[in-house]
Amino acid sequence: MTQAHPRTILHVDLDAFFAAVEQRDRPELRGKPVIVGGGGPHDRGVVSTASYEARAFGVHSAMPLRTAGALCPRGIFLPVDGAKYQAVSRQVMAVLRRFTPLVEPISIDEAFLDVTGSRILFGDGEQIGRQIKDEIRSAVDLTISVGVATTKLVAKIASDLRKPDGLVVVEPGTEAAFLAPLEIGRLWGVGAKLAEALRDYGVRTIGDLAGLPEDLLVRRFGKHGAALGERARGLDADPVGGRDPAKSIGHEHTFDVDTSDPDVIERTLLGMSEGVAGRLRDSGVKASTITVKIRDTTFRTITRQRTLPDPTDLTEPIFRTALDLARPEVRGVRIRLLGVTASGLGEREQLALFGLEDPRRRRAVEAADEVRHRFGERAITRARLVGSRLPAPFEHDPMSPLEARGIETDDGGRADGEPDDRDTQDDTTFAEDGLDVT
Amino acid sequence: MKLSVMQENLARGLSVVSRAVSNRSLPVLTNVLLKTEDAGLKLTATNLEIGITYWVPGKIESDGATSVPARLLTDLVNSLPGGEPIILELGDGETLHIRAGQFESNIKGIPAEDFPTVQTAGERPITRVEQKILRQALDETAFAAASDEARPILTGVLARFEGDQLTLAAADNYRIAVKRITVLDPVEETSVVVPARALHELARILADTDEPVSIVLAHSRNQLLFHVEGVDLVTRLIDGQYPNYQSVLPASHATRAILDREELLRAVRPAALIAHESANIVKLGVGLDGDPGITVSANAEVGDHVGRVEAAVEGDGTTIAFNARFLADVLTNVDAAQFALELNGPLSPGVFKPVGDDRYVHVVMPLRTTS
Repeated sequence: MTQAHPRTILHVDLDAFFAAVEQRDRPELRGKPVIVGGGGPHDRGVVSTASYEARAFGVHSAMPLRTAGALCPRGIFLPVDGAKYQAVSRQVMAVLRRFTPLVEPISIDEAFLDVTGSRILFGDGEQIGRQIKDEIRSAVDLTISVGVATTKLVAKIASDLRKPDGLVVVEPGTEAAFLAPLEIGRLWGVGAKLAEALRDYGVRTIGDLAGLPEDLLVRRFGKHGAALGERARGLDADPVGGRDPAKSIGHEHTFDVDTSDPDVIERTLLGMSEGVAGRLRDSGVKASTITVKIRDTTFRTITRQRTLPDPTDLTEPIFRTALDLARPEVRGVRIRLLGVTASGLGEREQLALFGLEDPRRRRAVEAADEVRHRFGERAITRARLVGSRLPAPFEHDPMSPLEARGIETDDGGRADGEPDDRDTQDDTTFAEDGLDVT
Repeated sequence: MKLSVMQENLARGLSVVSRAVSNRSLPVLTNVLLKTEDAGLKLTATNLEIGITYWVPGKIESDGATSVPARLLTDLVNSLPGGEPIILELGDGETLHIRAGQFESNIKGIPAEDFPTVQTAGERPITRVEQKILRQALDETAFAAASDEARPILTGVLARFEGDQLTLAAADNYRIAVKRITVLDPVEETSVVVPARALHELARILADTDEPVSIVLAHSRNQLLFHVEGVDLVTRLIDGQYPNYQSVLPASHATRAILDREELLRAVRPAALIAHESANIVKLGVGLDGDPGITVSANAEVGDHVGRVEAAVEGDGTTIAFNARFLADVLTNVDAAQFALELNGPLSPGVFKPVGDDRYVHVVMPLRTTS
């Protein structure tokens, strides 16, 4: 992206999203330390979101609930209501789409917008940022923080700088100067390990990193090093909505408490298979490959995949395959995370000798989809899943039309696009600010 | 019960019947039944779908029966020295004593009465078939049966007897294999659907010999029994109506290629390696632009591959895409030097027929691809 035609990019981030929704819906909670997570202060599990009042006590997301309970004994602990947050998130994304079609949701509570082409209608980045804040307040009664910059990288850092209810504008040409004093860990892709390695070179701020000669970075960190130097100067050509069309549809779940209970594991796989199948049908594609991901207590992660004889968008074959793949791997192991992914979307269609699918089953599935669309994800479910608390997966772009997601909806349609290893792999751990883009 | 048998004979018998041992948790089904009968030792195992009975020649001192864990007994007998007799004796508390030379073991059993009844050949066979002919027919058909239970009838092989002909048909909805063989005794028209798993086991038991295998249909018509010298295999039958496969066998073709089976198989194998990365799609180009040959290609993110084999092509040139596994299956399992491949364009079934043998036909449905 040349400096001659700078883009205007906004990063929008809902403030303490889960906690804010609870405080909005229950006025008695306002002004109080609200901690949304997997249970009470004596339970295992972690904090998903803490309200700003709770953060004053040092409580933050991903902190064990017991630690939060010790820090903030008067905190109000609430369970995660994934379906509710998902619904609010959709409303928010819908507001964002009034300003530009180029909206790239990156998690349930944040999104990038490219408003370059919208300036003629709504004014400059700062003015658009203010209007979005107003409209979201009036639509869902929540506050957001907005970063305005010429790149996604800088916009995201900017939105994080003055939370809650912030608006930070980084003028074109000032990106490097804006970043320079910030601590190195704020830069995308710089985790604890990398920060440690950079400290050997005396790098503490992003400016320190920008000052390092590029060849040194390349020598030390390889290809990653060159990109690192560019990012430190605020350069990031990544386009908004530049995500290639979905190559796969997946759902992952991290257990609050690691489990080896076969029934819990089976039900989780069933719930995820059901979700994946529903999203395949919503997208009008069938998948020919099923992958399961299993992470155990020791963080050993394995994936197993199988190509189906016949592409499908139904729960049963996905579940059967997932269970088949997972069963030998989970026996006697404590499981931390499970994932089910469907890929090979609409790549092919195996013609059949005899029509096999029972048309009555198809009609039943379509009727259930209809109920879900009208009355919400939990409105109808399998008896076996009643009472199981699998959070809904984060949908990257639930509101955009299928064509915009590169998925044709006609028969034999497919998700075309450039080879890419990105996909709509969703993590439903729901730790606020937990979905870092690296 | 007390008897002695030769180690080799007992080991062989156990290896045959253990194919029918259940891997389910019901303990008695993981056992093998030992029973003295007709001056020998009868071994029986069953998983309730199939049962296998094997007669081991031996010297009986006293009659009796018991059942012991099949896996343990099999492993134990295999570890004992060959060329020596093994003495089996049932002791107190349903314990089987096993003595061989300097070795002595005891295995705790479950009373024989608890073991399910497994049919053995008693009724008159409906017909007989030369073992090697039936074995080849099974090899060429049973692999095409469905392995998943989505439609149980397709996990079976249709066996249709009529006069001196037996027609076997197996399909999994994407392909079908049909083979006709001659039986030794004429039969009135009878159709049964036999689990393909049972026929895979039968194929292992059948020898490469002209000696016949007898086929017995139980009076209740819910079991089929195969008998060869010293071994019985009984299988349950699958209920239901087998789909009308004849209606899907193409009657004509627009393209016909005569090809060498092994050559095409050699061309499919490398393509299948690439295809493995992309939904297993292998494309055939048959007689394109007047080329007297078949190109075999695959395309995936990881790379691509193209190969070519000579073929005598008549009719229109065409392309067609198949699941690589289905191609490899028919080319591997069917005993023919040359195949005729008959096609009707990219979206119609492909038909494989051994050249000079009108008793076998294999139909594979193509893949519709987007490119």
